[in-house]
Formats: sequence, structure tokens, C-alpha cells
Amino acid sequence: MRDRGSALRSMASVPQPGMPNWLIRAGLPALVGAALVVAGPWILDTYMLNILVRALFVAIAALTVDVLWGFSGTLTFGQSAFFGIGAYALAIGFTQFGFGPWQALLSLAAAVGMAAAVAGFVGWLSFYPGSTPLYASVISLVLPIILVQILYSGGSFTGSSSGLVGFESFDLSLEGWFRLAGATVIGALVVASVALSSDAGRVLSAMRDNDERCTYLGIDTSLVRIGLTVITGVVAALAGFGYVGFSGVAAPENAGFVFGTQLVVMVALGGRGSLIGAVVGAVVIEVASAYLSSSLPFVWELIVGVAFVVVIVVLPGGLFGSLRDAATALRGRIGAAPVLALSPVTLATLERAAVAPDRNDVVVEADGVSKHFGSLSVLSGVSFTARQGELVSIVGPNGAGKTTLIRCLADGRERSEGTVRIAGHAIARLAPDRIVGLGLGRKFQAASVFETLSVADCLRIARVKSDPPSFVGASPLLALPAAARAVVESSGLAERLGEQARFLSHGLKQALELAMVLALEPRVLLLDEPTAGLTRTERQVFAGVLTELVARERLCVLIIEHDLDFVRQISSRIILLHRGRVALDGPVADVVDDPLIREIYTGNNRPQRGEVMS
Amino acid sequence: MITLVLDIITTAAILFIVSAGLLIVFGVMKIINFAHAAFITIGAYAGLGASRLGLSPVLAPALAFLAGGLIGVAAERVVVRRLYGRPLDAILATWGLSIVIGQLVTLAFGREVQFVPAPVSGTVMILGEDYSSYRLLMVLAAIVIAALFTGLLNGTRLGLSTRAVIMNETLAQGLGIDSTRVRLITFGIGCGLAATAGALITPLASVDPNMGLSWLIGAFMLVMISGGSLLTLGLSCIVLGGLQVLASTFISPILGGLTIAVLAAVALRLRPEGFARA
Repeated sequence: MRDRGSALRSMASVPQPGMPNWLIRAGLPALVGAALVVAGPWILDTYMLNILVRALFVAIAALTVDVLWGFSGTLTFGQSAFFGIGAYALAIGFTQFGFGPWQALLSLAAAVGMAAAVAGFVGWLSFYPGSTPLYASVISLVLPIILVQILYSGGSFTGSSSGLVGFESFDLSLEGWFRLAGATVIGALVVASVALSSDAGRVLSAMRDNDERCTYLGIDTSLVRIGLTVITGVVAALAGFGYVGFSGVAAPENAGFVFGTQLVVMVALGGRGSLIGAVVGAVVIEVASAYLSSSLPFVWELIVGVAFVVVIVVLPGGLFGSLRDAATALRGRIGAAPVLALSPVTLATLERAAVAPDRNDVVVEADGVSKHFGSLSVLSGVSFTARQGELVSIVGPNGAGKTTLIRCLADGRERSEGTVRIAGHAIARLAPDRIVGLGLGRKFQAASVFETLSVADCLRIARVKSDPPSFVGASPLLALPAAARAVVESSGLAERLGEQARFLSHGLKQALELAMVLALEPRVLLLDEPTAGLTRTERQVFAGVLTELVARERLCVLIIEHDLDFVRQISSRIILLHRGRVALDGPVADVVDDPLIREIYTGNNRPQRGEVMS
Repeated sequence: MITLVLDIITTAAILFIVSAGLLIVFGVMKIINFAHAAFITIGAYAGLGASRLGLSPVLAPALAFLAGGLIGVAAERVVVRRLYGRPLDAILATWGLSIVIGQLVTLAFGREVQFVPAPVSGTVMILGEDYSSYRLLMVLAAIVIAALFTGLLNGTRLGLSTRAVIMNETLAQGLGIDSTRVRLITFGIGCGLAATAGALITPLASVDPNMGLSWLIGAFMLVMISGGSLLTLGLSCIVLGGLQVLASTFISPILGGLTIAVLAAVALRLRPEGFARA
């Protein structure tokens, strides 16, 4: 599949043989942590150990908040509910059936099963095509409130407002608990950091940066988010399970909304998006609270509140984010070489069966497509077809419905009436990611890329659907279809693969988005004013790329464009939209010389020929 | 039956009073003021102070409005102003603010639960049923708040600027409207209204540093579902407040307490933009 022979450009040194990169980065801190965990009981007193065990279990829950909020962009107040589910699964299990090996297994299974079921339901409720991040936060607020009410009304089964105590639990020494909790935290950190820095983990950051672009790269972001909710829910439940197994008390506060917000505070102070930061934030706050809440009861919470506000307003990266920024600034000051990319990336070309040069299947069929907003009709009865190897320009004055038409082709839920077939398949009410699967690629009007991802990662996200990414490592090889690679090389992006997309110029961002869309290997390409804001040279390069794509790859390109000279240069056909209808549809020469074009563009309002014709 | 109807009407009125301030901030600034609960608490303590000083009970809501409004203006200048581009962070920062205010209130007034006597006690006879006169007074208060607010929005220059900012902030700025000032005043009024609500509801409940919190989620959900319009907020309060009363009366009070949150969450799933243009 991959053509390694053409791997021309090597960004930096070859990765060290033998040891995977992630092992080196995760291994050393893990060893330090393990040493602390082993040595802890010899250094610390009983009181401190006691607090630390609880703090470490809370830290795991904080870690799940960080993954959801810092990495995937979903601010959640509801992880406390899953913590509570785990806590009560153990407490109820041991209270009802006594302590024993099978009871422990049963409770564990109940914790995992309940958490997964609730998380699945919450995820389904929170994430759907078009859902907003705020709505997910709203649901995460409601969840712990409902759970606590259920616990209150559970009578002696849940212990109501006083919770459950006095059940027999695991017979483990304090040192044993400390080492167990410590090992669990280190394990969770290693697994999370390996998974999140892998190619698959990068998808989460991509969704946080730009959910819509992900969808239009064929990724079902709702499904990914639901899956993540289930995983983090189960992990938080296991943390609650351990917490109550150690403390022997399950209280409604363990599941409540206030605890949920405390987890967010811990992550914010430690540093969202930094796994170590979340753990350090949780441990420091838990330990400090334990020591200070007796001596300075309200002042301590006041300090936390002030620190929280300051961090949110001034240092959104939290403690570890600021440390990272300071380190970067320092490196810049002393003139050390900037770290370009974590792993060097080599470009490669994907082989692809050659497209027969005479393929001209109809790949876009719009029949009677209409779009109404209330009584306002933006598109009415638009019908046309387009074939492979055609470059169709859609022109028309502002408000003619051009972008709406593109939207109706790319998203099955947009149009009010009519049918659309892409590559022979009716799109029905499909979500954009499914239509991308049919062979459609859409480039947005404003360059839409993943701002905090490197250029290479942006391109890799575009390949996620066709080349399932690795969950453990970051591949040093970036294999792209020939067309995408040609854009990357000709635009100069190839030299900047390790750079974050937000540092690119406007023109390069446009090129990157085009390369990302081409990496999907679409049969139909939708372009919305792709040359707006480009320089003349960039525009000419772009024209060359497009005509090449149409000729060689037999792509069907639909392009919205205002510049009639440019349109004349590249198009094989022109569709003129006016007032939501197809006014003209024909070869370039016929349409540009039609008097109607001049009438419409100069605002002359004589009877519309298109309306007479239709 | 009469009691039930009166319960529904008065519950809706109380919910409206408690949510109005949050709605104003959300409608104009598109951010959710999670410190709303803390401002309710501030108003409650202002009411407590007023009754301790022996001031006329009519003055308590006014005093609360002043206290809440001034603290709100200060909070806007110091914290909220920097977060207009980051709505999720604004939720968090205002939540942090509510922690700070809650702790300051605790330090100043202590943790214990306190009570404010109702200025109007006793019951009135309506269609053959005795009903708490203070609860009925809440309906009047809700109508006054709605009327004042509508008048402010539609009858004053500030209201005109505010409506312009709601519709199109960039354009409003281009026309020379000082949107920063509009936001400052809006936040102040929103917080002042929250505090007024706190002063008004305390005779029905007790006063403690965390008292606002129990109102926050309900108010928040009502505002989300109303989509930012005062009229739909009123309707939401009547519909959801009514269902809450019915669920509490006929099924269980615990279920009643969950009604608003659950129904609003489901309704928002079906209509994410709220019901402002329904």
C-alpha cells in the first residue's frame, strides 16, 4: 500500500532504532513516580499517607476531567457522578452481600457496567450532529444532581443523606493502599499520555480545535465523543470504587455537583491539557485542604476560589501550562534550537489504481433542491448534474444561494425539499461525515484547519477514515494520495510539516485545507471561493492544481467563484444561480457571453430569462 | 384545586424573579453568570441586614439591588470583562467568583442558618381557600420586575443601545454605541436583580451562605430553554414550574425537585436554540 521508495524528504534525524519514542517520553517520569510510590510509606507519616491515598483516587477522576475538557474540549461538571457510581457500587454491594471475593467482583462489575451504561446514555444525549459544547456542559451539570436525588431517596439501600458506612472492605494495609493507589495513578498517566499522543489520540485535539472540519473529514465526532465519555466514565467509577474501598464511607457528596466542580478547579489550577498538571492539581488541593481546612476553614476555600478565578482569567493554561510557556520562552531567549516536531515526519505517496482517463460517470445529481427559512426561500427547485472530469463553476450575485447549495449537497439535513445523489447514492438525511464517505470533499470559504495541530497532524487527521491510526505510537511516515502530496509540495507546506497550523499564512492555510480535503481521495470536490484573499501568483498555482486534478484524477469539481476571468480560465461549465434558481447552465463560452450575466451583475432588473425557462 | 392553581402561579412567579437577572446577562452578553447564586445570597443577607436594622421591609429589595448591583459592576470590571471571547471560561470564572463571595459571606456572617420574618404575614382568603399572602405578593413582584425591565428596554436610550448590542454587537459598535458600557450596566442590573430575588425569597426560606446554589440550576435551565427572551422565560416558568408543582404534589417531592432540570435538558436536546422564536 505505502510506497516507501518515494519517501523523499526527511525532516530531521531518523527515530532511534529499537526504542519507540513514546516509551522514552513516558518511561522516565513513570520510573520516578514508581520510586516515589515505593518509598512513600517509609518517609511519610500515617496521617499524610491516609490523605494521599484519597487524593490519588481523586486525582484519577481529575485526570478524566482533564482528558474530556483539556483534550477534547468538553467542559464537564459530571465526572463526580461516575465517581459516585463506583463508590456506591462497592458500598451497596458490600453492605447487601457482605465482603468476599465474589462480592468484590460483582460490585466491580456493577460499577463498570452502571458507569458504562449511564455514560453511554449521557453521551448519546450530549453529542449529536450539531450539538453545542454548552449543551454537553448542561447535561453534565444535571447528571450529578439527579444521581444525588436518587441517592437521597434510596432509603436504607443507599443510606440516604448520611451515606453508607460500616461495611467490611478489602483487608489491605495503609502502605498497601498507598502503593496500589500510586501505581494506579502512574498506570493511568502512562496509558493516557501514550494514547493521547498517539495518532489516534490526536483526533481528540482536532475535535476540540474544529469539530466541523473533523466531521467534513468523514469522522463521526459524536461517536468518538460518546466513546470517550464511556471510557472516562468507567475510569472515574473505578476511582470512586477504590476511594470507598479504602475509606469505607460512601456519601452523597462523593457524587455531587460541588465535587464535580472541585474536580474542574483542580484541573484548571494544575493545567488543563497537561495530564501531570491535573494529577498535581488534585493532589496538592486535596492535601492542602486536609491540612488547612481545620486551621483556616473558610480562608482556605477563599484562597482556592481566588486562585481559580485568577488562573481562568490570566493563566488559562494553569500551573503546568505556564511552566511550559516559560520553558519555551527561555529556550527562545538563550537561542536554543526550537523543537520543531516531536517526531520527524517523512512524506510518502499512496499508490492508487489509475483512473481511466475517459471516466465520466455522473457523480452529482441534484433534483428539485429547495431550501426555505420560514417563508423565505433561498433555493427553489435547483436541478443539475455534474460528471467526473468536469469543473463546474457556480456563479451568481451575493444572496443567490451559492453557499446554501454547497451546504445542501454536503449535509443531508440542510435542504427542505428535493433529492441529491453523490456518486450514485441518495444522501437522504445523512450527516456530513457519512456523505464524505460517499466520496465528497468540501473546502470551506474561510480556511478551516486544526489551529493547534502541526501541519503533518492536520493531514494525518484527514487520513484517519481510510488508514486506521495507531493507538500507541505516532507514525514517522505520512502517506498521502498523490494529489494531496502535490499540493503539499508545490505550496511549500512540505518544509513546515512540524509547525502548528495557526502560524501559517492565510494562503498556506488555504493550501493546507485543500490538501486535507484531497487526502480524502474524494470523487467530488466542493470549493467555496477558494481564491478569496489569495495573491495573484497563489491563484495561478491554484488554477494549475485544479485543472490537473480534473484532467488526471477525473475529479468532479464544483467551485463557487466571483472572478469571472478566473472562472473562464478554469471551468468546463458554468451554472449561474440567481434568486435561488438555476438561471443558466452551459459551456463557458455560452454563459459568460449571455446578456443575462451582465444584467444580473449590473443589477438591471428586467424579466429573468431563467424564470421563463424553468 | 384552588390551592394547586395558586401554587403553580406563585411558584412560576418565584422562578421568574430568581431567573430574570440571569436571563438579562445571558441575553445581552451571551455568557452564563454562574455567580448568580452568590448574588442571590448577597441579596438575602442584605435583606437580613435590613430587617435587623429595623428598616422598612419595602426597602430590603432596593438595598439588595444596590448591594448586588455594585458588587456586580466591580466583578464585571475586574473579571468578567476579560472573558467575553471565552464563554466556557466565563462560566468557570463566575463559578470561582461565587466561591469567593460565598466564603466572604461565611467569614462575615457565619455559617449558621438564619431567618428573616416576612413583612406580610398570615393568609388571605381566595375563592374559599386560605393562601399565604407573601407568596401572592411574589406574583405582584414578578409583574413589577417584568414591567420595569420591559420599560427599561423599550422606553429608554440605554434600552435601545442594549437591544442594538443584542442584535449585532459589531454593528452597534460601528454606530458609536459603547458596548463595553452596555455590558457593564447589564451585568450590574443582572446581579442587582439576582440580589433583589434573594431579598424577596428569604422570608419564604432560610438564609445561609449556600442558599443561592439550590436555585442556580433551575434558573440556569429556565434561561437556557427560554433562549434569551423575557416572554419565553415567563412561559417556561409557568409550564415547567407548573409541572414541578404537579410532580411534587402527585408523585413525590424528590421527583418534583428534578422536574425542571430533566425536562429542560430533554427539551434542549430537541430544540438546542431554546424556544425564543417558537
